[in-house]
Amino acid sequence: MPHIEIDGQQIEVAAGTTIMEAAESLGIYIPFFCYHPKLSVAANCRMCLVDVEKAPKPLPACATPVADGMKIATASRKAKMAQQGVLEFLLINHPLDCPICDQGGECPLQDITMGFANPHSHYNEEKRVVEDKDIGPLITTEMTRCIQCTRCVRFGQEIGGIKELGATGRGEHMAIGTYVAKAVKSELSGNMIDLCPVGALTSKPFRYKARSWELKHTPGICPHCSTGCNTDVQSLGKEVLRVLPRNNEAVNEQWICDKGRYAYTGLNAPDRVTQPLLRDSQGKWTEVSWAEALEATLAGLEKVLARHGADKLAGLISGQSSNEELFLFQALLRGLGSPHVDHRLRQQDFRADAAMPLYPALNMSLEELEREPLIVLCHGFTRHQQPLTNHRLHKAVLNGGKVVSIDSMRQDFNFPVTQMVAEAGEDLALYQQLAGHFAHVHEEKQTDVLVHLAREMAAADNPLILIGSALLHHPQAADLLAQVETIAELAGGRIGWLAEESNSAGAWLSGCVPQRAPGGHLLAESGLPAGACWNAEMQGFILFGMEPGADSLAGAQAVQRLRDAEFVLSISHFSNEARQYADVILPMAAFAEGSGSYVNNEGRCQSFRAAVKLPGEARPGWKILRVLGDSLKLPDFQYNELSEVSAAWHHAVGDYDMDIPPFHAFPTLGAAQPIPAGTLLRLGDWPIYQGDPLVRRAKPLSTPLVARMHPDQARQSGIQGEAVEVSTASGKVTLALDLDTHIPLGCIWIPLGYPETSGLAAPYRPCSVAMAALLPETQRAS
Amino acid sequence: MLSEKSLKAIAFERSKYPQEEARSALLAALRIAQEEQGYLRDELIEYVAEILGLPAIQAFEVATFYTMYDLKPVGRHKLCVCGSVSCFLNGSDQIIGHLSKTLGIGPGETTADGLFTLQEVECLGACKDAPMMQLGDRYYENLTPESLDALIAQLRGGSEDVR
Repeated sequence: MPHIEIDGQQIEVAAGTTIMEAAESLGIYIPFFCYHPKLSVAANCRMCLVDVEKAPKPLPACATPVADGMKIATASRKAKMAQQGVLEFLLINHPLDCPICDQGGECPLQDITMGFANPHSHYNEEKRVVEDKDIGPLITTEMTRCIQCTRCVRFGQEIGGIKELGATGRGEHMAIGTYVAKAVKSELSGNMIDLCPVGALTSKPFRYKARSWELKHTPGICPHCSTGCNTDVQSLGKEVLRVLPRNNEAVNEQWICDKGRYAYTGLNAPDRVTQPLLRDSQGKWTEVSWAEALEATLAGLEKVLARHGADKLAGLISGQSSNEELFLFQALLRGLGSPHVDHRLRQQDFRADAAMPLYPALNMSLEELEREPLIVLCHGFTRHQQPLTNHRLHKAVLNGGKVVSIDSMRQDFNFPVTQMVAEAGEDLALYQQLAGHFAHVHEEKQTDVLVHLAREMAAADNPLILIGSALLHHPQAADLLAQVETIAELAGGRIGWLAEESNSAGAWLSGCVPQRAPGGHLLAESGLPAGACWNAEMQGFILFGMEPGADSLAGAQAVQRLRDAEFVLSISHFSNEARQYADVILPMAAFAEGSGSYVNNEGRCQSFRAAVKLPGEARPGWKILRVLGDSLKLPDFQYNELSEVSAAWHHAVGDYDMDIPPFHAFPTLGAAQPIPAGTLLRLGDWPIYQGDPLVRRAKPLSTPLVARMHPDQARQSGIQGEAVEVSTASGKVTLALDLDTHIPLGCIWIPLGYPETSGLAAPYRPCSVAMAALLPETQRAS
Repeated sequence: MLSEKSLKAIAFERSKYPQEEARSALLAALRIAQEEQGYLRDELIEYVAEILGLPAIQAFEVATFYTMYDLKPVGRHKLCVCGSVSCFLNGSDQIIGHLSKTLGIGPGETTADGLFTLQEVECLGACKDAPMMQLGDRYYENLTPESLDALIAQLRGGSEDVR
């Protein structure tokens, strides 16, 4: 191992270590711009030049591996001269607009200039000006400030899967851009803002909102998927102004996705509720005091209980709720005698409930995912569903691993993935075929791709099978799960779950499923699962943090049932949808306004604190539930502090393992709901920025609503033009249409999560299409 | 977009490099495309990237970096006058000035009849016979206003072989 000396300090480091890394381990600071530990080394900013004994010229610390006996000086006259020279050149073309630059105050160029520059410049000529690029609604570009470190380009190529960004031109004319004007479309694009060492790339929604030093930092946990990224919520007064990643190598490293970064912009949506709302007998909504609202709530609930019994009351809670809220919610419902508690709005087939694990666990750490040689994704499009878990899969591929995806359509991954796509509605058959092929893996002649996959899985040592959330959306989910278990057994592989929501794991652990109590204890009597509540003549509903119309597979049916019910209480952040059916709307703390804890996909329990004060009369969810329980005279609702609820949750849930059996024994499944054959099928899923009430309202993230169809299918269905009218049993709608070869024949893909499409039948149900007139421009604006 | 012959030449260049190093063939592929079409328009650069299976931006990076790639239409004859040290000391400024005056165009411009493009380029490695310029794939050295006038007259007369 090379033995070296930096600034008089001795250190022995592994061969291949760079001077930069060695200095870092000694705590010696070397200034740099282009170097970044997570990116490849470019060595093009030259800021990290250091003086190496016997080397004729200063050497870049980031790109120079140490050699035995090297003596390095980071602050000798030679090193300082070099650093000053580099800075003087970098500043030649950098504008002096720090007072109006959003990067000011958190700018490496500013800091390093203060620390290392010669205060006098020799340059008196004109500075260059670079044209700004429009790269979308999330990132503002101010390219004159760019120092061509190429961090953003390398991030795009190596991590974000952005293939449009590059450095064109040469020397003084070099500029970062897309050459042909293009929006940068990547779910990780916001990280380029954090990487940019100057103010060339800054956050568009945050622009001119505040100076960095005025902001209050609060540690948060991202509520938008099951990865559980650690965030730094930055606020000024009562307003959340931006969300940045917080370093946690074990979870999100130093990244977050754009969903987590920009969803906060939905907090001030026009339909945000900040005052309890009550509907009077004429259907008019009025803002009332908490006392009035609670009185109406209690009266409504008591009426339902007295007239129809607790069996006609159902409680549905969002999987984004904290453990504490989930725990109190099920206690409230069960305390009132109702067994119908659930959080799984996005599931329609519950036949395999008995086989479900304690909670949907990845059964390994996120870091371990990077070292998996073979990963089979079962209906899991991680790029949009869990972007930072997807990044671990990307790294697995970079480490020589292989990722295979089995899905109902071809997905747009940002790294090489072998994709097996089912024919329209034939998902189950595809899994069955794969399972069947394990008997033929030794027959050399078989060249079928599925046989090849079976062969690879059988040959691999313990391949990893990941169950994606879209598998549970399928009407034959139970049979698919059973096939996945069979395949895992045949392949000698392990199974991990990709949980759908930020606290799906917590919801299972906290007993927000109809068949299990907190801690996963089986209940003697099981209530109805979420999907069944819509058909069961329920008369009372308590909804917590959700919009069943947009958040469930059967939106139209859900809204209809809620309208017909006698009493609906919606404890919610937003009112647009709830106004259609609720009787009382209680305003609840939203993202960054409340405290609590989530259990992420690994089973890691992470807590977060409120960053800003509550708007208006909104109250933390757990307090609302506590007051309801207390007013309904239920026992065990005497909590004064959140910590008491957390303690009660911990006590009830007990210690759970991070590595758990992926399935319990399967029950006899009975016949599956058939998928209609010979007709056009509607496919669909929640697009990345439509998945929950908050992100749907984030304007900068909004994407136009577009149906997608294979060009051949469109021709066959006689569709020409840019619009299509889709009719299903429950409703019809006219949508813009994109032709897309990713969609299998016999299907039309229509996203869920938009109010406009919530009237349509669930995915895998028949539909018909007809030509429609061109939509007005406003509806097709992109 | 490109002839069979050019495509074959690009495929040959590609075959010189390992499977995963398509980028290595980019320089040659762009040169072949430019030789056939005269200059590299955006669609042509995109097309070359597509042939090699590369993101288009990588081809744009290369095409905009090297000055020998023409991104705008050029004249029938491209006069590339060296302006680096040796030629500069031997009067390249006067050579460029003379050409500008004779042809009525500045460096980087093309005559209205599409015959000539004038460019100032960096050292072409023929310092001993400075000042010099490149025309087509030949060097013209020890340039004087007179030798230039003769050359231009020849080129205007339609002669291809102007040695």
